[in-house]
Amino acid sequence: MGGVLPPAALRATGLVKEYRRGRAVDGVDLTVGPGERVALLGPNGAGKTTTLLMCLGAVTPDDGTVEILGHRLPRERSHAMAKVGFGAGYLPLPERMRVIEYLRMFGRLAGLRRPDRAAREALERFGIPHLAGAMGTEMSSGQKTLVGIAKAVLHRPRLLVLDEPTASLDPDVALRVRTGLREISAEQGTALLVTSHNMVEVERLCERVVFLSAGRVVADGTAAEIIERFGRSDLEDVFLHLAHLRDRQQVST
Amino acid sequence: MSETYRGAALSFWRVMAIVRRHAYVLQRSPHRAFDVVVWPAVDVVLFGTIGIFASTRTGGGAQVALYLLVGVVLWHVVYQAQISLATGFLEETWSRSVLSLFVTSMREWEYVAGVALFGLVKLVLGVGTVALIAWLAYAFSITSLGFGLLPVAALLLAVGWAIALFVIGLVLRFGSGAEALAWGILFAVMPLSGTFYPVSSLPGVLRPIGELLPTTHAFAAGRAFAQGEALPWHELGLATAGTVVLLLLSLAYLGWMLRIFRARGYVTRYS
Repeated sequence: MGGVLPPAALRATGLVKEYRRGRAVDGVDLTVGPGERVALLGPNGAGKTTTLLMCLGAVTPDDGTVEILGHRLPRERSHAMAKVGFGAGYLPLPERMRVIEYLRMFGRLAGLRRPDRAAREALERFGIPHLAGAMGTEMSSGQKTLVGIAKAVLHRPRLLVLDEPTASLDPDVALRVRTGLREISAEQGTALLVTSHNMVEVERLCERVVFLSAGRVVADGTAAEIIERFGRSDLEDVFLHLAHLRDRQQVST
Repeated sequence: MSETYRGAALSFWRVMAIVRRHAYVLQRSPHRAFDVVVWPAVDVVLFGTIGIFASTRTGGGAQVALYLLVGVVLWHVVYQAQISLATGFLEETWSRSVLSLFVTSMREWEYVAGVALFGLVKLVLGVGTVALIAWLAYAFSITSLGFGLLPVAALLLAVGWAIALFVIGLVLRFGSGAEALAWGILFAVMPLSGTFYPVSSLPGVLRPIGELLPTTHAFAAGRAFAQGEALPWHELGLATAGTVVLLLLSLAYLGWMLRIFRARGYVTRYS
């Protein structure tokens, strides 16, 4: 019996973005399958965040297309984003809102009928139910990051995009985040697209790694495949190798 | 000769370093011209014209007072509508929430509607405060004028929103540097709109500009009604037409700025 294949969680083709300072993204193709956990890696300035923002519809590509779960951006942005969760370690929480109020607002924006229940479940999952009544100003940066991730998963998204999710977390809390994300992916079939500078974390969390350098995809595969292809000892070594290559290119130009 | 200044010369060059630092800011922030050029111009036109208007009303002090009180109450309709919508969006920039909101499924009009709706609450509080003080301190009851002022207030509300949409477009395009306009732009319009006097009292060179503004005709209609005359429908018609044009222009401008905002990746300014 032939079934219809579910659409990719994310299919970005030929993305190009040029800013005044130069070309930030130069023909990136990026596909994330349903339930797949993918890491987007690369040195600073490689084009990771610009790529993510184009995939999320917050930045319009100069060229290329983005499709999320079969919905083409920007035309069907609202439908597409209803199935996407986004969190970033660098995004602050509003200072004059309590955590539960903040999560309730985003639950409502996602169309949840019972946002409070979803909020409490999300806080529970990441071990921070006690922060429900806290104000944004009363929390550490790590706690804010956890709340941001809880916000991203509130509405059971089918694609979860996280930019540097564990940048400000200690190893114990980072482990809790990884565990929570793996559970969500396994239980709900949520696809993950994560950027990180923590290579160990990437190896533990993601099944596939896409390396960007100077706005281009320079490697795409499992961590083991990429390590082997570049003849390096681990992902961190690959990362350093690509960063040095980029620095040399910048000096020569 | 020493490599560094000493004594008075040292202080002088330190002072000049600070002067130059602020000169750079002024030179590269055109919106700061509001403080040094626009405000003084607004003040002189506003108070000069009030003076001219009052001096030409022989024995008409009560009329001047009525114009001022009606003007200030109606002014707060347009002001509160504009400021609540514009600062509602600015709140997202201050709290760096723009990116978080941009990547939800919410549509742009839903966001604007939410902020504008809450703005109505602030408007009721603001106008209510002005009306209460006018009643307690000057025995001027806006409610005694009846419901005839409602269409005037509705038009001023729409003008306030239209200007706020324009300001949001400016902030999207030019960043938080354009914030000053959120507070300032309407005050530049106030003296030209004949808020406290008929535009015939304005200096001749400014009258044609005043006649073009929908607020001018709305205030004129409000004043006529407050004096016990029938609602001047021709003024209301002009105000309505002007408001519709202003709203359409503001929406088009906002849409244009939003496209630039996405195309140039300005969302990263707020993350």
